[in-house]
Amino acid sequence: MNCSEAQSLLSPHLDNELDLLRAVDLQQHLQTCPDCRRNAQQTKAARAAVREQATYFAAPDALRDKIMATLPAAKRTATTPAWFNASVAFALLVIVVWSVYSNLPITGSNDRVAEEIVSGHVRALMADHLTDVASSDRHTVKPWFNSKTDFSPPVIDLAVQGYPLIGGRLDYVSNRAAAALVYRHDRHVINLFIWPATANQSSDMNVLERNGYNIVHWANAGMEYWAVSDLNSMDLKKFSAMVMKPEDADAGPPTIPR
Amino acid sequence: MWRSRKSAEDVLKTGRFENVVLPHLSAAYNLARRLTRHSENAEDLVQEACMRAFKFFDGFHGNDARAWLLTIVRNTCYTWLQNAKVENCRTDYDEDTHSVEQDMATDLWRGDPEILLLRHADQELINRALDQLPVEFREVMVLRELEDFSYKEIAAIADIPLGTVMSRLARARKLLVEIVQRMKRDA
Repeated sequence: MNCSEAQSLLSPHLDNELDLLRAVDLQQHLQTCPDCRRNAQQTKAARAAVREQATYFAAPDALRDKIMATLPAAKRTATTPAWFNASVAFALLVIVVWSVYSNLPITGSNDRVAEEIVSGHVRALMADHLTDVASSDRHTVKPWFNSKTDFSPPVIDLAVQGYPLIGGRLDYVSNRAAAALVYRHDRHVINLFIWPATANQSSDMNVLERNGYNIVHWANAGMEYWAVSDLNSMDLKKFSAMVMKPEDADAGPPTIPR
Repeated sequence: MWRSRKSAEDVLKTGRFENVVLPHLSAAYNLARRLTRHSENAEDLVQEACMRAFKFFDGFHGNDARAWLLTIVRNTCYTWLQNAKVENCRTDYDEDTHSVEQDMATDLWRGDPEILLLRHADQELINRALDQLPVEFREVMVLRELEDFSYKEIAAIADIPLGTVMSRLARARKLLVEIVQRMKRDA
């Protein structure tokens, strides 16, 4: 491989768009060519700088409202008869009252979220779309979320404890954007959904089961956490405990005596 | 009777549109904001693109609503850019004559200070540098680095061959280094 070929493959290589054969060729060339190696580092730095630093401009709320107002269903309310408005108002009242009551005990609304969490997990597995950012490095995964969400999910590395990080993706749960961190344990995939809690409450681990999937839910430090997997509930609880209190996890499994 | 069924269909369509397409509104706005470099124009163009998307929504049967919406946003923005002549849409860089070899021949790409420069570049600097990229390069940069689309998806959205995605992205990254370097020097 000559330098000009190597140059043209640097970007595809960083973007995981290169087949194995050419990736190996490129690696070999980089080992022998300091110029191309420097170029590779520059390309990498440029890529990382934009990913980590460039502002992701979120759509203003007013824009969404403006768009909704022009869609037919929203327009219609202006010309509907009074009785219709009254019945809509009554229906809304029923919904509001119901949602307030169903939110009071932790089970009511959590049931619904649990269903959504399982669907999110299954959907990601079925569509073969587990990760938007595939990396076992939390220093790559965390900044990626910073550009996508209005909150910063804590990303911890549990590879030593037997739960390596696979990556992350953006999901949509409970009518809001959620960070989904993907971990693996043996051959089981764990999806850890995180989003800011509505109230700054902390709750202990709550273990649920839906359609054969185990779910562990808790809240602390202003964040809601939902871990879901086909993993047995013992191991999933162990995983959750380490996410909840990373300082305990640092102790890790017993070290193998030499 | 006909009218009420029609409006019921509209309600359903709006509901589906809200669930399927509108979650990607920020991606749409970010792309438009990056392409036009202007927040109000971006809002107007996203609104226009959403109207268009709603009109053609019955024909959308794919599974990637984000790519679908961004294609429409991208085309709406390009039409506007061309009409408004706000920006010369053809790039200053001729992709054939300004080859990678020539870039390499300059001493621009040698030495490590550029890497340090980029590592220490702050948000404001990177944003300004991005804004200085010619629009075609800015486009692939946003779709790749901020939206994380694959080369194939970018080719479909920007309607360019796969090879062009590859070369534009490589060039965009090099240009970015060059711009950051120049900005630091002028500062």
